[in-house]
Amino acid sequence: MTKQAKILNIVQYIVLIILTIISVFPFFWMIVAATNPSVEVTKGTLTFGSYFTENLKTLLSSDLQFINAFKNSLFIAVITTTLAMIVSSAAGYAFEVYKNKTRDKVFNFVLLSMMVPFAALMVPLFRLFSNFNKVPVLENIGLNTNGSVIIIAIATAFLIFFFRQNTRTFPKDLIEAARIDGLGEFEIFARIYMPTMKSTYAAAVVVTFMTSWNNYLWPLIALQSPEKRTLPLILSAMGSSYTPDYGMMMTAVVISTLPTALLFFFMQKQFVAGMTGSVKG
Amino acid sequence: MKNKVNLKAWIFTIPSLILIVSFVFYPMIQAFITSFYTGVANNLSFGGLANYQRLLTDTTFQKALFNTLLFLVIQVPIMIILALIISSILNNKRLKLRGFFRTAIFLPCITSLVAYSIVFKSLFASDGFVNAMLMNLNIIAEPINWLTNSTCARILIIIAITWRWTGYNMIFYLAGLQSIDDSVYEAAEIDGATGFQKFRYMTVPLLKPIILFTSINSTIGTLQLFDETMNITQGGPANSTITISQYIYNILFKYQPNFGYAAAVSFVIVVLIVVLSFIQLKVGDKND
Amino acid sequence: MRVKKFLAITLASTMLMSVAACGSTDDNKNSASATDENSITIWAWDEAFNIKAAQEAKDIYLETNPDAEINIVTMAQDDIVAKLNTSLSSSSYDGLPNIVLIEDYKSQGYLTSYEDEFAELSDIMNQDDFASYKTAVNQINGKVYGIPFDSGVTATFYRTDLIEQAGYTTEDMKNLTWEKYIEIGKAVKEKTGKDLCTLDPSDIGQIRMMMQSAGAWYTDADGKVSISNNQALKDAIKIYKDMVDSGCVKQISDWDQFVGALNNGEVASVVTGCWIAPSIKMADDQSGKWAVAEFPKMAANEDSVNASSIGGAGWYVLKNVGNTELAKDFLKNTFASNIELMNSLADSITLVSTLNAASEGENYSKANEFFGGQELFSDLAKWTSEVPSVNYGLNTYAIEDLMTEAVQAIVGGADVDSTLTEYQAQIEAAIGA
Repeated sequence: MTKQAKILNIVQYIVLIILTIISVFPFFWMIVAATNPSVEVTKGTLTFGSYFTENLKTLLSSDLQFINAFKNSLFIAVITTTLAMIVSSAAGYAFEVYKNKTRDKVFNFVLLSMMVPFAALMVPLFRLFSNFNKVPVLENIGLNTNGSVIIIAIATAFLIFFFRQNTRTFPKDLIEAARIDGLGEFEIFARIYMPTMKSTYAAAVVVTFMTSWNNYLWPLIALQSPEKRTLPLILSAMGSSYTPDYGMMMTAVVISTLPTALLFFFMQKQFVAGMTGSVKG
Repeated sequence: MKNKVNLKAWIFTIPSLILIVSFVFYPMIQAFITSFYTGVANNLSFGGLANYQRLLTDTTFQKALFNTLLFLVIQVPIMIILALIISSILNNKRLKLRGFFRTAIFLPCITSLVAYSIVFKSLFASDGFVNAMLMNLNIIAEPINWLTNSTCARILIIIAITWRWTGYNMIFYLAGLQSIDDSVYEAAEIDGATGFQKFRYMTVPLLKPIILFTSINSTIGTLQLFDETMNITQGGPANSTITISQYIYNILFKYQPNFGYAAAVSFVIVVLIVVLSFIQLKVGDKND
Repeated sequence: MRVKKFLAITLASTMLMSVAACGSTDDNKNSASATDENSITIWAWDEAFNIKAAQEAKDIYLETNPDAEINIVTMAQDDIVAKLNTSLSSSSYDGLPNIVLIEDYKSQGYLTSYEDEFAELSDIMNQDDFASYKTAVNQINGKVYGIPFDSGVTATFYRTDLIEQAGYTTEDMKNLTWEKYIEIGKAVKEKTGKDLCTLDPSDIGQIRMMMQSAGAWYTDADGKVSISNNQALKDAIKIYKDMVDSGCVKQISDWDQFVGALNNGEVASVVTGCWIAPSIKMADDQSGKWAVAEFPKMAANEDSVNASSIGGAGWYVLKNVGNTELAKDFLKNTFASNIELMNSLADSITLVSTLNAASEGENYSKANEFFGGQELFSDLAKWTSEVPSVNYGLNTYAIEDLMTEAVQAIVGGADVDSTLTEYQAQIEAAIGA
């Protein structure tokens, strides 16, 4: 390594360390707060306390059914992510691989759907779903079901667009080669595309899971019974107090942040440079 | 043969299309119809273009529109460039502790809004850490009222969004960078290309489809910005950081619910986003 | 073949998953909606306050009505508002509560927006039993729809030690005026270096309190916007500006900084609703150093008295959800009349009741150690009865969002009269008056 490269290397690390501190600080604060009683949190303490077990006890004994909400959120997020990966990636793949004028137009139409603020759709959507409750089969996605939260998050313009853009970097000659080998269109998608695009799927999984995990407005409106509520709704209820128990709240927040953090940590192993390179070669 | 492939192509897309049409387009049309009705709550009556006319004289709406566009113009480019640089540094195979740095920089977008708004507010309080540091470094003489002065509050919001979403955009770039063959970079290195040259002439062009995706996505995200202003400044001081989405929320829930007017405001955002995305698509897709 | 197979698998898995998603929890689908004849659901916010009150009321009610099932659900206030608006505007009553807590500033808006959705409660309560100012907002056309709950009576909470260091005594805090309050503040700042109080430029609650102390509001008795000719508002803005200019207030943003400044001992006082007491009491190390005085009146305004209110809420019954009689019976025996309940809540959640007779309860005459042995509740109850009655009208929040701009402009040096005239027009346009 030249001297210049060495200096550049050190600068890189310094920049990364500064960025890390800036990024992690509020997260660190959150964890500190979870170990302190509420009054210390309001005073702005930055040292770890010994109050974590107390906070945890308060949280678990509260009427808000935290564990139940955690289960609901996990269930919804896992099913949503699984289905979204199949349905949305298939569409994104098709819009790029089988490009033609009509499909491009349909695609632009799809894009339009991500441009409407959700708040505007909420009331009509609520009315639509309230009708489902009266219809057999469809009642499974009616109001107050997990299905109602899952079904609207499976196919999103965002994911379709993401997959389409990433498919642009997918080597098309692989498809031609596979066709010559006699593979059908669906096999090519399942056996060639899906394994090759691991890093794209990994990113999509992280983002979809996170979006579902944090989804707020629609579950708020669609889920009615208290035992159906998801984590963000519980957290919001906790924050509604004039004298919020910050210690307990931050304990809840820390626990509810862990799944996405862990998921990202493990999924990023898929972001390994050169993976597609080996396929290409 | 060709017809068969065409049919299969539609089959790939049909589940998505059915879902999007039922759960986005159908309510969207309903909302569009509602935008022609005036009155509060259920007491609606047909008002033609009254809601759209009202927009022209609504000063709060104009403020919200100005703020939103300001955030968009300043914040999105900063964030996209920052995310690109960080992800190309973090894509370096020789970098130690890669996983740690990546996770750390990703953390802001999953840190709870409640936690981060409290932290931001205390860091940027008039006697907070940021002012103390700036004063120690002799950059400023008087403490800045970050939260209570309108210009500073806007800057603070821009800092906050950038902080929260840069790591998020980084994920897409990291994923996209995997399709670039390492040997391409190695060849360039042998030819004596500097880090910046590799970034400018290789990474950026190769990631172009993903950059297009993130910029459209961030444009939409910023035009629908809600969380940050709601939690950090509540749109204040004196509406100086109010955004269109927050205004819609206020019309629906904080004030007497006015569904028609809220829908009209929403369609202004839709039109804006459509226009901006169209421009971005035209510019970004040129090479294809 | 493959085409069909793929499609079949995708569709089947989608269906299966969503069926599984719902099937597993189908059995308790209806447990919260009030389909059973003996069950009612209550929605409220604030676990440490309203929810505890509802729970105590539930316990009391169950003693005499053991068959009743009462579900209490904690929800953020904004979430309740969002859910009520969506459901009521769609006339969809599944999952809605029978009883809901509504903030006083919002109640008139609800009652007029959804006329036929609320049950009349005239037969289960007597308006004269409650503090008169609370009964201005819970009725429409002479029909009562809400049971008043907590008092938002205002007071001056102050640190005796800091005031004394500045050379003043508790005597000086009696019959307080804003002018005197600011004078004391300047002395406190000079002697102790601490600020008098906090001020949030996005929240003009102080102006709201001052106006109500003079029996005025952003709207007049007929519900018309009253900004440019509102003397009480002008006086209040002047005091607000004086406070900002005095250099003895700490600018903050939002609730947690507000409470943080109190708990950290950064300010010598706070003028606000009585519901702040639990937050002040969180700082154990300040016990005995606090006292409570009357709300300051505006010396320049003849109508202004030493009492006002901020916040507060009431209980409402949703008529079309079902089990209305049970819901009414519940309220009748608890929040509408039960002195015992109010007495016990004074102790458990520091509730200042708006039920007049509550002040006779024994907990109201208890000396409070934290507040230097003062009989806090009996004072607050007395001031509650003196709060001028004001109808908050339909648009308090919409008007206030614009008024914060006007106040900021005036504080920044703009002319009062011309600014208010300009905003009178803007506000009228904004609320479609």
